Amino acid sequence: MSAVWLVAKREIVTTVRTRSFIIGLIVTAVVVGVVAFLPKFFDGPDKYTIGLVNSQELPLKQALPEAEFTFKTFQDRAAATKAVLDGDLDAALVDGTTVLTDGQIETELGVLMQSVNREVKLGAAGVNVPPLAMESVGADTRYEDARRGIAFLLVIVLFGLVIQSVSMVAMGVVEEKGSRIVEILLASLRPWQLLVGKVVGLGVIGLINLAVVLVVGIGAAVASGFAENFPPGMAGIIAGTMIWFLLGYAFFATYSASLASLVSRQEEVGNVLGPMMLTVMVTYGVSIYATGDPSSTLSTVMSLIPPFSSMVMPVRMAAAEVPLWEVGVAMLIMMAAVAGIAAVGARVYERAVLRTGARLKFTEVLRSR
Amino acid sequence: MLEITGLRKQFPGGKVALDGVGFEVRPGELYGFVGANGAGKTTTMRIVMGVLLSDAGQVSWQGRPLDADTRKRIGYMPEERGLYQKMRVAEQIEYFGQLHGMSAAAARTATNDLLERLTLTERRNDAVEALSLGNQQRVQLAVALVHDPELLILDEPFSGLDPIAVEALSTVLQERARGGVPVLFSSHQLELVERLCDAVGIISAGRMVATGSVETLQAAAGRALKVVVRGAEPGWADGLPGELAVQGDRHVLVTSGGDDQEILRRAVKSGHVEHFGFERASLTEIFKEAVA
Repeated sequence: MSAVWLVAKREIVTTVRTRSFIIGLIVTAVVVGVVAFLPKFFDGPDKYTIGLVNSQELPLKQALPEAEFTFKTFQDRAAATKAVLDGDLDAALVDGTTVLTDGQIETELGVLMQSVNREVKLGAAGVNVPPLAMESVGADTRYEDARRGIAFLLVIVLFGLVIQSVSMVAMGVVEEKGSRIVEILLASLRPWQLLVGKVVGLGVIGLINLAVVLVVGIGAAVASGFAENFPPGMAGIIAGTMIWFLLGYAFFATYSASLASLVSRQEEVGNVLGPMMLTVMVTYGVSIYATGDPSSTLSTVMSLIPPFSSMVMPVRMAAAEVPLWEVGVAMLIMMAAVAGIAAVGARVYERAVLRTGARLKFTEVLRSR
Repeated sequence: MLEITGLRKQFPGGKVALDGVGFEVRPGELYGFVGANGAGKTTTMRIVMGVLLSDAGQVSWQGRPLDADTRKRIGYMPEERGLYQKMRVAEQIEYFGQLHGMSAAAARTATNDLLERLTLTERRNDAVEALSLGNQQRVQLAVALVHDPELLILDEPFSGLDPIAVEALSTVLQERARGGVPVLFSSHQLELVERLCDAVGIISAGRMVATGSVETLQAAAGRALKVVVRGAEPGWADGLPGELAVQGDRHVLVTSGGDDQEILRRAVKSGHVEHFGFERASLTEIFKEAVA
């Protein structure tokens, strides 16, 4: 175990110290921060300017507290009409009876003025109308948009991190094989210890990246006020994301390490990782689909099948309510898949990593002694 | 004692790389392993280190088959040098020390000692890739030595080194041998092997064609008589065995047979004898003879 830890520690220390890691972290943090603040810029409170001709201000603010209303008084109908046509006003109220707009009145403002006007008139006549109590008997859809947005961002982050971490594993394997460091290493280590140490070490690096994304993202969302839109159970979503990242990473990293052990030069890494990258791409595609339709049959099925489940399930968990048993079953199947690929991958790695030279075939290596 | 017996290895392509290789390296012995390219030196060493499996044969250390635990106590330098290019010098040596089972503190002390010995102390925090090839080789050696190995196996440790580095490395290896460590190394620099080694093994096409101490091999090769005569008449050596070379008025006769007294009389009669003596075969000659 201490040998595994030594290998892992070396991976962590040497990676953390590289300039590209530090720069990558800073860039990620800035991008995540900006993205988390974006809704504030695009989704500012509504602002209305309303002209008054021979009329009193309507208590619109009372009815819609989050919007801002500005009132301007005009001498006559003609002046108000001109201001409406010039776009200086959203609407003008004339004589307390007519509303002037440019083309069709904006629906929300129109309905609002209509009902507030009615309330004022009724109140003046001494009639008190209690407001209607709103109650939803269907699923809670209040957070749907926020959930989908979060799920979408998660897919991009998970996809990027898995690709990045897995490439680092592959390049590390080839570095050791190509330079024959592996000969010295394997004189004092078992191949599986080297493999597991590398995967664990770079997994920690991936987790550091993910933690930065989550901390900066949530911090910025809280600072920008967007966090108010967070659905309940956000902590569960975050914990789930981390666990699923680790499971997906373990799967793809072991897979890519065994593929990378087949070649001896960095130039060949891209080629040999082809089939694995295709699987990651398909997983990504299904996950993007699942952000839009998290409860469809396809999303549900894919969230149970490894390795797709590693990205589709966290997306579903963020985008909709997923029964706990489904998450549990998906995790068990995924863990079994990780164990399976680790067994096969370690066999291939063990046999291929000392055979320097021309590219080897996966199945051939698996069959060989 | 390291004992290698009956190693056989056939590669998937069908090429027989080793065909019954066997020799021993005793404690405190510097053993030079020589052979042409492709003769099987590297294959033998890789089998000893367990990075390659043999088809048959055995490698034993202190009378017991070499296992993974024992291999941790061997110092190994592979033919193709392997270091983490972006890792710092001292950290890298410490890392390998720890992989060989040393505590962090012990690995640090041993690393500092080695850096001092190999005059690399000033480069301790540089990345390996920033070092010259000669210095990288020193780091590679440090990696092989850091855990104070019980046995050293070095594949071409001298290749690519300048004369000063060759001297430094020779000294280090002799010291280790004097400390009782068997040192097995391969080399193409036969003069160096002749000067340095207690024992030599010559491998050719996967078989050991000669093993033993340098003296034993020389004795077995016989001695050659060399006569240099200045200003001799042409034809003075007619009828004598051996080969005559004429460079101007300098006649050089080299022979391994015939009556030495008769040869001397003829030489004295025909001119001015500059040199008359028996010469030991050099390792290069023995090598050429053995692999022919």
